[in-house]
Amino acid sequence: MEALRIKGLSKNFGGVSAVDNISFGVEIGERLVIIGPNGAGKTTLFNLINGQLPATSGRIYFLGKDITAMPTHSRAHLGQARAFQIISLFLNLSVLDNALLALHGTKPYRFKLFRPINHYKLISDKVQETLKELDLWEKKDELVKNLSYGEQRRMEIGLSLALQPKLLLLDEPSAGLTMEECSGIIDMIKNLGLDITVIIVDHDMDLVFGVAERIIVLHYGQIIADGAPEQIQADPRVKEIYLGIEE
Amino acid sequence: MKTASQEAFSRPRQGQRINLAPHVAGVVILVILPAFLSSYIQSVMTRFLIFALFAMGYNLAFGCAGLISLGHAAYFGAGGYTIAVIKLHYGSDLFWVGAPLGILVATLVAAMFGIIALRVSGIYFLLVTFALGQLLYSVAWNVSWLNTPGMQGIAGLSLPTVGIAGFTLNTTSFYYLVLLVSLICFYLLFRITNSPFGRAIVGIREGEARMRSLGYNTWLYKYIAFVISGAFAGIAGVLFGYYNYLISPTHLGVGTSFLPMCMAIIGGAGTFLGPVIGAAVIIFVELFASIMTPERWPLILGGLFVLAIMFAREGIGVYLWRLWNKVSHHYGSTKN
Amino acid sequence: MEQFIINLLNGLSYGMVLFMIASGMSVVMGAMNIINLAHGVLYMIGGYVGWTIAVKFGAPFVLGLLAGGLAAGFTGLMLERGFLRHLYKQPNEQVLLTFGFVYILTNLSLWVWGGWPRMPFTAKFLSGSFEILGRAYPKARMATIIIGLVMAIVLWWLQDKTRVGSMVRAGMDNKEMAMGLGINMERVFALVFFVASFIAGLGGVLGAQLLGVYNTLGLEILLLALIVVIVGGVGSVQGALLGGILIGVIDAFGRALFPKLAMFTMYFTMIIILLVRPSGLLGRRV
Repeated sequence: MEALRIKGLSKNFGGVSAVDNISFGVEIGERLVIIGPNGAGKTTLFNLINGQLPATSGRIYFLGKDITAMPTHSRAHLGQARAFQIISLFLNLSVLDNALLALHGTKPYRFKLFRPINHYKLISDKVQETLKELDLWEKKDELVKNLSYGEQRRMEIGLSLALQPKLLLLDEPSAGLTMEECSGIIDMIKNLGLDITVIIVDHDMDLVFGVAERIIVLHYGQIIADGAPEQIQADPRVKEIYLGIEE
Repeated sequence: MKTASQEAFSRPRQGQRINLAPHVAGVVILVILPAFLSSYIQSVMTRFLIFALFAMGYNLAFGCAGLISLGHAAYFGAGGYTIAVIKLHYGSDLFWVGAPLGILVATLVAAMFGIIALRVSGIYFLLVTFALGQLLYSVAWNVSWLNTPGMQGIAGLSLPTVGIAGFTLNTTSFYYLVLLVSLICFYLLFRITNSPFGRAIVGIREGEARMRSLGYNTWLYKYIAFVISGAFAGIAGVLFGYYNYLISPTHLGVGTSFLPMCMAIIGGAGTFLGPVIGAAVIIFVELFASIMTPERWPLILGGLFVLAIMFAREGIGVYLWRLWNKVSHHYGSTKN
Repeated sequence: MEQFIINLLNGLSYGMVLFMIASGMSVVMGAMNIINLAHGVLYMIGGYVGWTIAVKFGAPFVLGLLAGGLAAGFTGLMLERGFLRHLYKQPNEQVLLTFGFVYILTNLSLWVWGGWPRMPFTAKFLSGSFEILGRAYPKARMATIIIGLVMAIVLWWLQDKTRVGSMVRAGMDNKEMAMGLGINMERVFALVFFVASFIAGLGGVLGAQLLGVYNTLGLEILLLALIVVIVGGVGSVQGALLGGILIGVIDAFGRALFPKLAMFTMYFTMIIILLVRPSGLLGRRV
């Protein structure tokens, strides 16, 4: 069974085709990185996979199931987790509250009306464990907006991981980070188990080549190259439209 | 919705018992003091509690979920009209019949209106809730079954009977009934707010897209919060019907809908007890105005509201809470 | 058949008044992302001032029209410059603020003009009726239809064909970008608000020919405007026009065919639109 299968996926906005008849598959445990110039459709593709946008045409299969029409929250229950391009943590809430909400999302007691939220020991323990691993337990009552950008980014990804997802979608995880912070993220990703499939969109070449087993290059909503990192590096078309510009 | 408010919002941390003191004191005052005051003051206190309840229920949708509703009087009035209709057409005053039915009707109206209103969000939600409230106002105005013959609304209501032979409620005992109901409701709201559901509602207000990604069915949460909020408005409306001896279409209209919003903003929509403080302020000023300049009351109310929005957006409640914190920390440190 | 035409004309004239009210609200909504809930009160102030000039002082109706528009325009401008401007990045607070002003301005109007309603009034040359298909039809209503259409054309031209219109539409889509291009968005907003309020005031005087002026107009008109905007869609003159005409005609036929149901035909239409197409008939996707 594949983790993800995209068939003939398209997304049109008015007359513009942001994603144009894309098809590809992703094996379970694969580390796929999607690159391409700005406006190539990378974030749109993520929005389609995660359900923020409805597809104009085509099908999306997640772990064998057709999720094309499924709402985002159901996809989370099937095992998708996503970190957004712009940090989407709840800035005005504390680190602890953010973690509690993140970890409750797929649990049945998220609908409970009467017991206080820290009553649910399983989750509270997991929260404590996660925050300690992220070195954020000391700051648990701090508002997220008071953390440094690097800490926020680390936290967002770290929380996504704590959900033990089957598919992790990371949208530009290195954006705005220092070299040191970035290599921290690379390590985090490298330490993930093979039961998690990881798809990353990014521009930072250290991260891309440090993590990728396979690279897909998007341009104007279409796949123009798909293969191992060495292949992509050598591909003249890619050099022309993307890596060339990087220099 | 800033630092201090969120702190006030969250469950008490281990060992910090200081937080309980002002609440216990408040309850004690509410229980003991009115026994020594005139029935007029008791009546004012009753009014305060009814509107505090209305505003607290409202704030579950407004402050917690960020659903700006300008038609909540629909559920308030629905509660009031239910007990009024029961009195008018079935001749019963019984609290144990009227109240549950009133809450039920209010909840049903909120359930219906919620489905329509939640088709849109943000400011449009406000417009739709406003229009729906006015719709109900129109219905109450035009449908003769909902009116005492010869007038608008239903008159001749009175304090409820509780089914104990020979015992009738008076102003004082009704006050205590309202106090009991209010305290129970405040406690329920407290539990709901701190439950996983309540925290999820706040999360949805802060970032709906992320909440969906995390697995929350955000529409459903908003809907449930809205309906619960309508139910509490209904309880307040039932009590109001008994208290006011009269229910009229005005109590379904925007003039009444505006009040809980005003109270929530003035007292602080981000704090748990903010709406209660707001209710106290408004009821008190209203009392003052009714004695001094009754025709200018809407001007005063609007003015207070505008001032609160311009200069004290977090509400008075937050400032009081910060003040209390300073005082108790000072006291704590001198103790050491 | 003649009755059908009469109802249609009634619906159109009422619809034009609705259009004028709604277009101001809708454009402000689209351009500045705020809803001015005091819009109905501006209409009312326009009507009162128009009455004072045209009836109390006996000046020509056109002067009353102008005075009403200006009074509403400047009141709106004061609201924007004095208060809304300071709540720049907080659209929710802005909207709530305007609602506070509904109370303030309504009560002030009550203070100034008293609680007694003013009867419908119009220009001398517009009083009386003329013949259509063998029936008498009020000239004032006809004039309203014509003026409404003219306004619609002018506003549409402003919106789609002029530089100012483009600036407003650019600001609607991307404020920072527009500012980066050197467009003084503050001035544009103030202008938009003034024009929208002016139109509301004009609408108030024109509407006074049909409805008169009275103290509860503030909220009544707001409600009508909201229904029109919900039905027609936000942000465009065309939406306000379609919504206004549709609601006006539905209301006119509703009253003629089911007099008991009065307002409900409008609410009914609104609810259907909300359930089926929440962004309104001509609105951008909400």
